[in-house]
Amino acid sequence: MSATPSVPAPKPPREFSPAFFGTVCSLPFFLLMLFGFVAPLLCVVWFGFMPAKTFALLQMPTFANYETIFNQTYFKSILWSIGLATVTVLTLLVICYPLAFGMAKIFRGGASFITYAIATSLFVSENIRLFGWVIGFMKNGVVGGTLAKVFDVQIDSLLYNIPVIILGMVYVYLPFMLFPLVLGLKMVPDQVREAAFDLGASRWQVFKKIDLPLSMPGVLIGSLLVFVLSVGAISEAKILGGQKVVTIASDIESEFTYAQNWPLGSALSTLFIALTTVVVFFALGRFDLEKLLGKKRSE
Amino acid sequence: MVESAAPILEVVSITNRFAKFTAVNDVSFAVREGEFFTLVGPSGSGKTTLLRMLVGMEKPTTGELRLRGKVINDLPPNLRPTCMVFQSLALFPHMTVGKNVEFPLSIRGQSSGECRTRAWELLKLLHLDPHRYYDKNVSQCSGGERQRVALARALAYDPEILFFDEPLSAIDARLRKVLQKELKDLQRSTGKTFCYVTHSLEEAMVMSDRVAILRAGVIEQIGTPDEIYGAPRNAFVAEFMGEVNLLPITGLGGTAATWDTGRKVIPLTLPAPLAAGTARKLLIRPESLRFLRAGESAGNSVPVRILNEFSLGSRIQYHVEVASDCTLTVQRLREERTAATEAVLGWELADSQILET
Repeated sequence: MSATPSVPAPKPPREFSPAFFGTVCSLPFFLLMLFGFVAPLLCVVWFGFMPAKTFALLQMPTFANYETIFNQTYFKSILWSIGLATVTVLTLLVICYPLAFGMAKIFRGGASFITYAIATSLFVSENIRLFGWVIGFMKNGVVGGTLAKVFDVQIDSLLYNIPVIILGMVYVYLPFMLFPLVLGLKMVPDQVREAAFDLGASRWQVFKKIDLPLSMPGVLIGSLLVFVLSVGAISEAKILGGQKVVTIASDIESEFTYAQNWPLGSALSTLFIALTTVVVFFALGRFDLEKLLGKKRSE
Repeated sequence: MVESAAPILEVVSITNRFAKFTAVNDVSFAVREGEFFTLVGPSGSGKTTLLRMLVGMEKPTTGELRLRGKVINDLPPNLRPTCMVFQSLALFPHMTVGKNVEFPLSIRGQSSGECRTRAWELLKLLHLDPHRYYDKNVSQCSGGERQRVALARALAYDPEILFFDEPLSAIDARLRKVLQKELKDLQRSTGKTFCYVTHSLEEAMVMSDRVAILRAGVIEQIGTPDEIYGAPRNAFVAEFMGEVNLLPITGLGGTAATWDTGRKVIPLTLPAPLAAGTARKLLIRPESLRFLRAGESAGNSVPVRILNEFSLGSRIQYHVEVASDCTLTVQRLREERTAATEAVLGWELADSQILET
């Protein structure tokens, strides 16, 4: 009986599963999100529970800051922010929907021209564009000066009121509404519209029953984008509005800078983030994107 | 019955011209009441443009469209009593099957109860169980089910003519055959006029009462499937019908001609006289060709080499070589199978036709 020498099994070649590979590849992004987003966010939330006007994180947590917020008139700034953002979203919907419809379905070469023209305006810093408006609207500025010189009409400064703030916000956030709307409308298949028209629907009925419901994903995404951006807007109200309106974002800024009250600023930020999140999730839950796109498979 | 019916749609020398390109060139034909009419042509033949003009989505550059004698050139699709089933079906993705079918009814302002009753009837007519399908989302339906939904929706419009833009082209061959038969049955049972567009002459032959063959914006031939099969007007129509043998021939005066295979010139006898020097195509169907036994004779005979044999079920198809780079297709019944590699191929004069190129 001869013993066969046992041959050690060859080591299997090292294999990377797609899951492992994916994990490794997403690691940089994961770390960036962890240290750049999650950690600071948690810091802010935690800082909100520190005693007012202190700068240390290791103290006994307290609700004092939130009491301050509810006892004072910060709710006014929050309402202003939400109000301005809502008006901006609604105004932009009215302005952008027809334009987006044209760009997606009617204009041919013109659509890319409009896209480039609007995208180019994004190359200039927002603050510079807003100061441009200031030069235009201030007393004896471009508008007032021209009117005085040409028509001999004296007008006061057009700045520092609520309509001009909304004008500025509408102007700054227009691309964020327009492009999602164009994409949303482009997703409405032409043959589906033609079929509705062929089945007896008038142009208006085609719009109401086909275009509008099928472009809702674009409407929803554009509105959320503009709402989230404009609710945290600060420059429009500051530069164009002077101190006429104080938004929550400028309240937070002044707590962190002028007042040197970081815990109160943090508490305001936390409250504001929570509020925005609730609004966004409410909107997302209300309009089921998948259902709107007809892609939901319930079985 | 169909032959004597009055025309429901008359197309009078209709032309559609884009900047320089003429998609449809001076086309005239009439669709008769209650018939299954099919426009067939290869891609780029202008059949889609022609159809889009018939339903009103495109306007003819010149010419007239008459529906029951009334000119409808400028009537938009939503005001025409005709309706189309699209190639993509164009179902409304945000509506259930039921709401899709009810769409044309609700547009007309019918009450939801009436809409529902009619939708149930139509779903039943198209073999879709309303209990299961009425509330189903269209995206959950299979290809064949979607076809039926599109058809039910078009029927709900109650059109005088129902147009089809190759709706079956994306369906697998077996289901397509089933749906073709169902479509034909549906046309018979509803008595509606169907006008179908396809690139497949085979599909056209199966379903249609009459077929119009379109090439480069011009109608080559209109007729019943039998007429077209029996007497194709030219080589294009014959070739379009599927596997046929078209031999390039040159007349020698009388019924004598030569067949130039490229390598070899073969003398042939024609079924009809042809002037000397005229070039024509000689059509011989694969089933008209047969292998001659020793001592047997036929109108024409050529020695061939058998290259390949394919089984088509009850029939066998052979590819035979007459000269290098010149092959013919032969179809015989399975009982007449041959194992030889060299043979003499023959056909009767009456089984061949001289066609213009």
